[in-house]
Amino acid sequence: MLLALIILYVITLINLALVERFRKYASIITIQGWLLLGIALLRLHSLDWLELSFIVLETLIFKAIIVPHILMSVIKKTKINRVKTSGTSQFNALILSFVALIVSAITTYLVADSSIHMLFFGVAMYALLSGLILIVLRSRIFTHMVGFLIIENGVFLFSMAIGVEMPMLINAAIMLDILMSVLMLSLFMTKVDDKIHTDDSDSLTHVKD
Amino acid sequence: MIYLFFAIWLIVAAGTFFARSRRTVHIMCGLYIATHLAFLIKLFLGGDYLSTSGEFFTFDEAGALFYVLLAIVSTYVIIHSVEYLKDDKIENYRTYFALLLLLITAITGVYFANNIAVTWILLETTTLCGAGILYHRHSKDTLEATWKYLFVCSTGIAIAYLGILLLCAAASNGSLRYDDIATMLANGDPLYLKAAFLLILTGYSCKMEIFPLYTIGIDANFAAPAPAAGLISTGLVNAGFLAIFRVYKLFAHTAVFEWVQNVMLIIGILSLCVGALFLRRTNNYKRFLSYSTVENMGIAAIGLGIGGIGIWAALFHVVCHTFIKSSMFLQIAVIRQIYNGYRINRLGDYININKVGAIGIIVGMVTVLAFPPSPLFISELMILTEIFTGGDWWLAIAMTLLLCIVIYSICYRLIKLCYQPNQDELHTSNINRRLSYSAISLLILAIILGFWQPAPLKALIDTIVTL
Repeated sequence: MLLALIILYVITLINLALVERFRKYASIITIQGWLLLGIALLRLHSLDWLELSFIVLETLIFKAIIVPHILMSVIKKTKINRVKTSGTSQFNALILSFVALIVSAITTYLVADSSIHMLFFGVAMYALLSGLILIVLRSRIFTHMVGFLIIENGVFLFSMAIGVEMPMLINAAIMLDILMSVLMLSLFMTKVDDKIHTDDSDSLTHVKD
Repeated sequence: MIYLFFAIWLIVAAGTFFARSRRTVHIMCGLYIATHLAFLIKLFLGGDYLSTSGEFFTFDEAGALFYVLLAIVSTYVIIHSVEYLKDDKIENYRTYFALLLLLITAITGVYFANNIAVTWILLETTTLCGAGILYHRHSKDTLEATWKYLFVCSTGIAIAYLGILLLCAAASNGSLRYDDIATMLANGDPLYLKAAFLLILTGYSCKMEIFPLYTIGIDANFAAPAPAAGLISTGLVNAGFLAIFRVYKLFAHTAVFEWVQNVMLIIGILSLCVGALFLRRTNNYKRFLSYSTVENMGIAAIGLGIGGIGIWAALFHVVCHTFIKSSMFLQIAVIRQIYNGYRINRLGDYININKVGAIGIIVGMVTVLAFPPSPLFISELMILTEIFTGGDWWLAIAMTLLLCIVIYSICYRLIKLCYQPNQDELHTSNINRRLSYSAISLLILAIILGFWQPAPLKALIDTIVTL
């Protein structure tokens, strides 16, 4: 079951390279939230019930419900629906995504030993690279935000690989992860779009030398 | 003990946030400074030094040294901020001070944390507080800088977290205390250790203002009010340095330590390179001083990279840089009040407008450039000596060349400020010489360290750098 959820998670990351509409990005983040919830339940079931419920509730409320909801609100408010057509094509994005997948697999093969859950490490690395690729390839700020959330989800996934022995790490990571994500999304919703009237990260280049 | 003080500091910050008048804000700030004084007394005279407080904090030598620096600098920053923001609306005024107090509290926590996860959490907290301070002016530029700061710092810190997880996996003992990790790392898998160090260094570089994520520190200093930039460029940079230094020490008894030192060398040279090149390019005095911070932190990284006496020099360099850079940012705050801007190509004639401030700038220039009697002369000389001893000629040549560019750029631009004809509108009624004198007093502290390093300070640094 755990393996199935992780494979589904990888599929969402591959799908990330194929989509161009913001609603699809928001849907991917929602699906990842629910998948992470499932993985947390299966992976951390041996934890103390209080710690487990804390992690599960936070994952459910924030990663699966609140963050996707804010993303949808941003789409409605800004009325920007898709990435720029002038940007990198889906084909190139997909090729890069596959390269990232291969790099992650090779690295995992090289570093894997008994102390790290191999699969978690590989998927987390793929998530990190996918997020970075998204940020680099797409010019709209919204996609950068999604890239950041993808990275955060990847790190969260990896923390679960070794978090059975260290639940405090997971708690701390979730708390701050959520705080930062919500803060950034709120800033985007309430300030950036109102003040700069921008949908393009090129507009955010005034502060430079 | 520390939890009690944290509670007090948080209450004072909350009180500041809800204050209805400037007078209340000032009282709260006074109270905050007094509690830090009480903390210092309790730390050194109350027998808490070198003890552990609660589960996550230890008042060790490194934490204590940097905390003393923070206490001094933050007192200056609070006092200068009162004058700097005197025309602000009360809502902005109290929010700024509340966030400033929270930032100082979070930095204090970073210094004393004995647990790698707690260090990480508190560093992330500094991002939250810092972002609020950056957005103080509510302009388009500060919004852009705040957005970038939040975005890059969060991504950087997430990457560092991945590194911490890898490190913990390599240690594989379930504990996150530095002491426990250190004992377990000796037999760690070299590949894990290398990956962990790279990720942590990359993540924390946004706080220490070194390559590769140095840009965000520059934007932060640009957007924040000048006195707060003084704190970000010293107290927060020191927090980043200490976080990296603690991880560096963890690797001292591992098989990859030589590799770690090489990475520090490369990062140091690249930071020095960035600092040297952009000091010539920027047209804003705050960004200019920030690039000087990048350059100095690059030198500290080189010190850690070459090892031996270089580690001692790196720590001493960071300590002295704290006084010098905070003084220069406070001088720049005075300049902002007079010219209402920071444009390098337009500001001038400062020597005739505010002689005391101009002397502060020129003396600051001499000390930051490591000319004797600057304490940075001692640290840079020690680093260069160690490089020559090791026979790394390429490094010595690269460092010397880059330092020559730095010297030319800083001299050229700061002398211009004092002597070129001014092209901007002046607000001479805002000249406050007391603030210029006050900023100079920090420089004097640095110069005293150049002439005379007290034996307890030397012994303290000796202990800290023992690997």
